[in-house]
Amino acid sequence: MVEDRLLVWKFNRGSKEALRRIYEKYKDDLLSLAVTLLRDRSAAEDVVHDVFVSLARSCGTFRLNGTLKGYLSTCVANGARDRNRLRSARNTGLDGAESMSSNSAGPAEYAMGSEESERLYDLLARLPYEQREVIVMHLHHGMRFREIAKAAGVSINTVQSRYRYGLDKLRSIVNGEVTK
Amino acid sequence: MRLIENMETFIRARKPHIATNADTDKRIVDDSFAAMEAAKAGLKGGRPNLWAAVLRSKVTRLAAAAMIIVVIGILIHGVSRKQTDGQTVPAPAKSPAEMMTAMSLNIAYRKGGLEAVEKQCDKAFKMLGLQPTRISARELLEEFSSEEVERKES
Repeated sequence: MVEDRLLVWKFNRGSKEALRRIYEKYKDDLLSLAVTLLRDRSAAEDVVHDVFVSLARSCGTFRLNGTLKGYLSTCVANGARDRNRLRSARNTGLDGAESMSSNSAGPAEYAMGSEESERLYDLLARLPYEQREVIVMHLHHGMRFREIAKAAGVSINTVQSRYRYGLDKLRSIVNGEVTK
Repeated sequence: MRLIENMETFIRARKPHIATNADTDKRIVDDSFAAMEAAKAGLKGGRPNLWAAVLRSKVTRLAAAAMIIVVIGILIHGVSRKQTDGQTVPAPAKSPAEMMTAMSLNIAYRKGGLEAVEKQCDKAFKMLGLQPTRISARELLEEFSSEEVERKES
């Protein structure tokens, strides 16, 4: 936390090294978040790219409220949501989940580390985007419901409902697979 | 409940780790540095935006709001004065000291009535080193009102 504040302070003074350190520190986390949300690596990389370029543009005027990780995660989630909307608009008439699956090249490409992670990735892909977003941001990135609600521009009750419905749906998918 | 907790543990324990590759890193870092340079150049070359500076801090925001209210108040006062007179008579220019005195007395009266005005006057006399006469503001007003009654009767 203190280190992040120091990095932000140096970044505002124009230190490229500070910006590089911020990038190195959070790049993998942010890319994982974007890939899990979008299921498309190149789109995810573009989102992370846009977030850092936008951060760089605010050099000298950037003000951090809260944590740097929370701020960057929120920016990535917002970027991913915009891209998802664009993609949904292009694929109108098709089922959203199906279109996303067809865009993705499969979890193996992303080298997640274990079969279990790949299985979870597949399970999450079956959820509607909003539910997946809340679950990933809360459980993988430690964001509070309040922060997610603020980022998504919805009420905290909506976020909690999405979270609960998402978990219920995941559970029913897992139970369905077990009983087969 | 138990099942939901299990599901949460299941998801938490399987956080995916996706690493960026060198090409992506280079592209993002280079573009970010270019954007940073452009931002720095803009900050040095561009004229500072007054409103952006004012809105940045809470104190300056409040000061600006107070300033706007005072200006609007003065304007409204000027307009209403013109309307009541019927004809436009140029108001005699007031000195800042007179305006401040009138404002402070007005505020004191609104806050605590005549007693507050009296206190305010005492404070002013103390500050300026003047010796007030023995008469209080209430007595002064009573005197004025009795004079007016006498004038009307006559």
